Amino acid sequence: MGKLLQLLTRNGGFMTFLLVEMFSFYLIVQYNDQQDAIFTHTMGLVGGNVLEKRSAWMSYAHLKVVSDSLASENIILRKQLADARNIQVPYRDTFFIRDIDSLIRTDSLRRVMVKPQFEFISARVIGNSINSANNWLTINRGSNENVRPGMGVISKDGVVGIARHVTPNFSMVMSILHRQTKISVGVKRLKKALGSLVWEGGDPSVMTLKFIARHFDVKPGDLIVTSGYSEIFPKDIEVGRVEGAPEQDPANPYCWIMKVRLNQDMSTLDYVYVVNDIFHTELDSLKLKVKNEQ
Amino acid sequence: MNNSIFPGIWRFIGLTAVQVLLLQQAGSAIGSYFNVLLYPLFILFLPIQMPTPYVVLLGFAIGLTVDFFYGSIGIHASAGAFSGFARSVILSAYKPKGGFSGKEPIAAPVYFGWQWFFQVSALFFAAHLLWYFSVNAFTFVYVATITLKTLAAWGLTMIFVVLYSILFNPKN
Repeated sequence: MGKLLQLLTRNGGFMTFLLVEMFSFYLIVQYNDQQDAIFTHTMGLVGGNVLEKRSAWMSYAHLKVVSDSLASENIILRKQLADARNIQVPYRDTFFIRDIDSLIRTDSLRRVMVKPQFEFISARVIGNSINSANNWLTINRGSNENVRPGMGVISKDGVVGIARHVTPNFSMVMSILHRQTKISVGVKRLKKALGSLVWEGGDPSVMTLKFIARHFDVKPGDLIVTSGYSEIFPKDIEVGRVEGAPEQDPANPYCWIMKVRLNQDMSTLDYVYVVNDIFHTELDSLKLKVKNEQ
Repeated sequence: MNNSIFPGIWRFIGLTAVQVLLLQQAGSAIGSYFNVLLYPLFILFLPIQMPTPYVVLLGFAIGLTVDFFYGSIGIHASAGAFSGFARSVILSAYKPKGGFSGKEPIAAPVYFGWQWFFQVSALFFAAHLLWYFSVNAFTFVYVATITLKTLAAWGLTMIFVVLYSILFNPKN
């Protein structure tokens, strides 16, 4: 410490001033919400342009892989389109809510009234991190394409994150590999078994599933899907599979705690879809009423 | 040098207390344009002969202390470090013929006269306040608000600076 002070003295006040200011700015961004938000927003604006240029070059190298994955996705979509035609559902974008379809088919009144609940905005990932304690993605769609903070982001292999900061052309997406992530999911085989998916850091391909009641017989390899109980993600998106036997949650003895291996490799994200729930405003105001009554 | 340590410590404690017990409360009671930042006087009244790096670090220290009470970790600290550096620039611009001698331990009106002290402290506080409000806004989008707040705070603060100097007439 004494040597450091000596060094600073010899190099004059300006060096000290610069070092102390750098440290101060670190403190400001770390401990003040408003300044932190401005910092993240600005980095998004500056970084977004740089990242998009880099991404344009990189995309040539990936063209083959990308076209393969697009082709296989097309096959899945065509199959679902055919399914939809077979049952003659009078709305589009329904392939994520097939369970509801079967209900509606028997309900002629609903069938006329129902609208497509979800619209999808396709986007490319132009920035991604998986190694930090809290990870963020940058995508090349923003408020010009109707992306709003709070919208979910999915890929064809699972959920990716939630949009948090939006500029006209870019959005910063809070990755599911973030400590604040909490996704409402269920076990596909046991339809009523609901839980929360969180990330506890470390391995970017494994998340932790909590709050599944102990009377459910969860087995290794069970498929985990989104519950559709939030307006963020549609129902029944496959997220991953249970890895290893579930254990009793030490913090909550009536619940299981288990590891879930993600379908989506978060390090190779390229094309993603931003989920726009068109009932978002309506559902929000409805939920607000309950909140006001509590 | 030893003689000036205790007045320095007392000024650190006293000015921090006045800042957070009186001026912060007054500011939150009166409105967002009533800002008086008196604690930088501690930095201005540090010994003239003190090397700049120490002044910068002590400025950072009192700023961070004030930050703990304002709940704005880093903002006052940044401004304190800046004015610690600005002090050395202002003092070297306003040094008397032949430079400072050991006879004048601190930059007080009792040694250099009121006109000199008013000019130096006016520049010093303008620098501190401008930096503080810029860092507080953290963007130059609000440049008009920053300027207005700085001007308002500067006028108010200078009244308190003069009152303090008349009241205590610091000598070391």
